[in-house]
Amino acid sequence: MAKQQTGTLSSKNWLGRASAGLILGFGIAIGLSALFAHFGPGGFNGESTKMQMTMWMTSPIWVTVLCCCFLFQTGLRAWLWLGATNIFIFAAYFGGRALVT
Amino acid sequence: MRTDIVRLYKDIHTWTGIVAGLALFIAFYAGAITMFETELQRWATVPSELAPPPALEQTDALVAATLAEVPEAGRRFMVNIDPTPEAPARVTWETGGRRGHGILDEARHFGASFDETGNLQVAEFRKTDVAQLVDVLHQQVGLPFDHEISMMIMGAISLLYALALVSGTIVLIPSLIKDLFLVRVGRNLKRMWLDVHNVLGIFSLPFHLVMALTAVVFAFHDQIYDLQSEVIYDGEIEKYWAAGSPRPTPHPDGTPLLGAAAMLARIGEQAPDFRVMTLSYAQQRNGQYMVQAYGTDIRHGVRTPTTGIGIVDAYDGSFIRTNLVPGEQDGWNATLTAFFALHFGSFGGYSVRWGYFFLGLAGAFLFYSGNLLWIESRRKKARKAGQVEQKRSTRVMAALTVGVSFGCIAGISLTIAAAKWLPMLVDNAGPWHIGLYYALFLAAVAWAFVRGAARAGVDLLLLCAATTALIPLSSLLASLTPAHMPWNHGGTDGLLVDLVAVAGTVFFALMALRAHRRVTEGPTDSVWAAQAPDLKPAE
Repeated sequence: MAKQQTGTLSSKNWLGRASAGLILGFGIAIGLSALFAHFGPGGFNGESTKMQMTMWMTSPIWVTVLCCCFLFQTGLRAWLWLGATNIFIFAAYFGGRALVT
Repeated sequence: MRTDIVRLYKDIHTWTGIVAGLALFIAFYAGAITMFETELQRWATVPSELAPPPALEQTDALVAATLAEVPEAGRRFMVNIDPTPEAPARVTWETGGRRGHGILDEARHFGASFDETGNLQVAEFRKTDVAQLVDVLHQQVGLPFDHEISMMIMGAISLLYALALVSGTIVLIPSLIKDLFLVRVGRNLKRMWLDVHNVLGIFSLPFHLVMALTAVVFAFHDQIYDLQSEVIYDGEIEKYWAAGSPRPTPHPDGTPLLGAAAMLARIGEQAPDFRVMTLSYAQQRNGQYMVQAYGTDIRHGVRTPTTGIGIVDAYDGSFIRTNLVPGEQDGWNATLTAFFALHFGSFGGYSVRWGYFFLGLAGAFLFYSGNLLWIESRRKKARKAGQVEQKRSTRVMAALTVGVSFGCIAGISLTIAAAKWLPMLVDNAGPWHIGLYYALFLAAVAWAFVRGAARAGVDLLLLCAATTALIPLSSLLASLTPAHMPWNHGGTDGLLVDLVAVAGTVFFALMALRAHRRVTEGPTDSVWAAQAPDLKPAE
């Protein structure tokens, strides 16, 4: 994103960026909801209220990533950056769970 | 704001809007009508043949007599606190069929009462299918697939809708301050439509954001839970759901059920503002009962489209679970309820329902005007050389826009009006309601292509006015005929349906007049002019 100033954005070649936003955005949403479920307020309690909240929070995250993914210059960049974000989130999640147990 | 970003999001707005717009029109028009689903149900339900319901104090005798006579009612039955035409008995139950998302569930509905001599009277009553049909049209816009597949498509449409909202807002930002309160009515039609589209869009943005974000959840929640089960709950999400389900403490065998009146009093002690409408008794595995109390408290949102739910001990009336009782929820549950209530408009009583009704109609108009703008932007203006041929894409989109939009409106009106006639003609009205809707909808779309958008627009608006007029006309005929059918129920709820239909009729008729003027007197270099045969192959 740092180089964003150099080129202008256009809607050409949208498929690469859109697919990154759709697929990897969903991954980010699931990953963040997993962090919330285990390390968010109240910790992991297996209560249905928290399970529902964990499900609901995915929608705004997913939609946000989907709406912003077009700000990447190319599809490749979108896949790399959002992919790296996924790896970071899931590493934090599974690492965190391994540390706790 | 950088112009390339604005241009980028303008392209996104155009294409997401044009792909999802017509589906969203149907979802919003039908959704607006579901705001009055209860009233529509009441209007459309055949009067029951049962004797008037006995007093609340006699409920316990009625329940005992019913269970003795009809053992199958014992699995699950309802006690209605204020029986209404759509739930016409003090005690009701259903057999067969599962209440799913289909309209064609095979469930049969029964009610019990005491006749004049005090003997038990059991009769089947016919629940109307038309209100549920409108709800299903709202949820899956008439897609002819399995519910699961339709919901996946609706989920995709919801994501496109969210994208269209955000991109449309970004496009509007640079001129927001200048244009906010400006609607330029005049010669430049595209300017006028754009101003109207913008002002509607920006002022109902919060409503639309709520709808988009909740619709994504409603469409995909099964898939999200399945994936979360693997990632978060080690594949055992079902175990946690089961652990969380309410477990009433067993009472000694032979403990009598708490009477309905006493039950209401006990619930009133625990949640004074919770107005109970229905007590639903369900037999548990150990043969004992658990009660779900359905009711409202208009100062709070409720979880379902119409009511909140309290889980109550059937034998002593104490709450087992209050997490869905309006006003008795903790912060987490109240937040969850807010997501549902904000989508359903199930808070704040009638004023909010009316607000949502108009916001829903305005939403439908937003998508309709978006399509008009798409068409207008691609219009080929005539130069000195004389007539121009409009592009095939704009003619097709114009035909689709009037055909789908007005076909949906006319189809819904026709199938609602038929609710007063079908019960005396056929045994099972459900398939007929569906057939009538689709027949008129498809015919309208076909008509739009055959006649061309311009002329079909006038025809179809007249059709909308005529079919909508059938709704109050059916009621009027019913009040003039002494026969058992058609019928009217007393009270203002039915009148509401008729009055809204009268207003709709007038509106559609006026629009037809305006459209006719546009076709005959407006500029001829447009898909909205009648002069050229509209759909002869282009090029």
